[in-house]
Amino acid sequence: MKVMWYFTHKEILEAWRKHHLLIIGLIFMIFGIESPLIAKILPDILHSSFGSNLVINIPQPTSVDSWQQFYKNITQMGIYVLAIIFSGFMSQEVSQGTLVNLIAKGLPRFIVVLAKFLVAYLQWCGAILLAFVITWGYTAYYFPDNKSPQPLLGLVPLLIFGLFFTALLLLGSTLAVNNYFGFLFAAGSIIALTILNMWKSVQRWNPVALMTDNLRLVQGTEKLAHISPALMLTLGLTIVLVTLTIIIFNHKRL
Amino acid sequence: MMALLELAHVQKSFGTKQVLTDLTFSVEAGSIFGFVGENGAGKTTTMKLILGLEKLDAGQITVAQQTVKYGQNKTNQNIGYLPDVPEYYGYLTATEYLMLCGHLTGMHKSELPTRIKEMLAAVDLPQNKQRIHGFSRGMKQRLGIAQALLNRPRLLICDEPTSALDPAGRREFLDLLASLRGETTIIFSTHILNDVERICDQVGILNRGRLAVNETLVNLRQQFARPQLQLTFADLTSAQQAAVTLQVTEKVVQPQFSLPYQGASQQFTGQVLRQLLAADIVPLAVNQQQTSLEDIFLEVVK
Repeated sequence: MKVMWYFTHKEILEAWRKHHLLIIGLIFMIFGIESPLIAKILPDILHSSFGSNLVINIPQPTSVDSWQQFYKNITQMGIYVLAIIFSGFMSQEVSQGTLVNLIAKGLPRFIVVLAKFLVAYLQWCGAILLAFVITWGYTAYYFPDNKSPQPLLGLVPLLIFGLFFTALLLLGSTLAVNNYFGFLFAAGSIIALTILNMWKSVQRWNPVALMTDNLRLVQGTEKLAHISPALMLTLGLTIVLVTLTIIIFNHKRL
Repeated sequence: MMALLELAHVQKSFGTKQVLTDLTFSVEAGSIFGFVGENGAGKTTTMKLILGLEKLDAGQITVAQQTVKYGQNKTNQNIGYLPDVPEYYGYLTATEYLMLCGHLTGMHKSELPTRIKEMLAAVDLPQNKQRIHGFSRGMKQRLGIAQALLNRPRLLICDEPTSALDPAGRREFLDLLASLRGETTIIFSTHILNDVERICDQVGILNRGRLAVNETLVNLRQQFARPQLQLTFADLTSAQQAAVTLQVTEKVVQPQFSLPYQGASQQFTGQVLRQLLAADIVPLAVNQQQTSLEDIFLEVVK
């Protein structure tokens, strides 16, 4: 366990000194501020765009619009920002040869995989929580309504989806010969799962449900139990992907 | 003396290329073993096999009587490794990197700060906040030495360690290795045969996947003894005239050439000088040439 901590500490230092934390923090802070702000000013933007000659009936924005904007930003942009940052986290170490010396000193290979997974996931959680807290604060300020009674409930599946997505990135980056493959592998897998979601019978089981049903959970129109098959499958797939990564990395030439 | 490292019938191939066919040798505890071979002969592969970084196709490797197993690290705690081009995390300082290495090799937390200070001083690196990405190649090589020796390994594996060092750094490094004789067993791979001649007790020459020779330098010189007499002349014309007189078949293109001989050197030298003086040719210098490791290496790999 001590070795796990030492390598994890190195990974945290890397995230800090290579400015990953700063970049992620800034981007997700912008998402956090932007989501409720866009919801708030969207009617004004539309009015000013169409001018006073055209009469359009735009309903007053609510907290639901703010959370909708939030989940749209995180699932359509945020996760890909994180994917770009993490996509080379394994392939880069292998191609640069930095691990050779540490493995030669007795660092077990599975520790490398687990530590990288843990630190990347912590960054995922940190990024999403930062954006969430900011959005929550501004949403409560701009839209003091009771239309979004369960904001935390919508976040839980997204955090669990992060485990699966991080495991996908890790596997892609371990299989990779370059930094882009990790990103393409994870993005391609998500696109494939999104296409699968077209079949209604797989929707409750599909990990993608963890980033599509959030708004209904926030509004209280859907219970977490509805997507519990997807939650369970996502956790199971995460374990499979991490185990597969360890097996592949154990056979990888350094 | 007991062998610290033993390789028995080691085989390794990459795809269709057989790199090591039947590599068998042992290195005695406390000795310095010069590991020599042409480019691509399999020196680095052998070292990675000893470290458990590559999978054996066949054979067995033991370090301190423990079998090396791919992907397992039990034997690695006894080994220090200095690769030819050490790669580091540029965002760490030398102290932070050594701290990480020390922890991974199981060194005690309380011992580390003093040991790191000692090692940085030994390799002439400052203990400050400078990050490794600002280090020169020579500084990185010296940090490599520090990390390899940090946990006082019983076996030190050096893969062409002097290639990035300037002459002064190279000399200091060789002196450092020589000072470890007796307490640390060293495998030292290099292309610079002078370095091997300077510090190694035993020399192994890797050729076509096998260790073609594995002997002490003294024994090698006796085994491959090919004494030569080197003659130096004032100019090329004199040298060419001398070559004709002495019936040298090779073309002489310098005012200097060597004559291989067998038997007593004094008798051969006298005979050569008599022939030259009879032809009114006087050499500027006459030297006995000892068989060098380079001669032996070329003889073995030809």
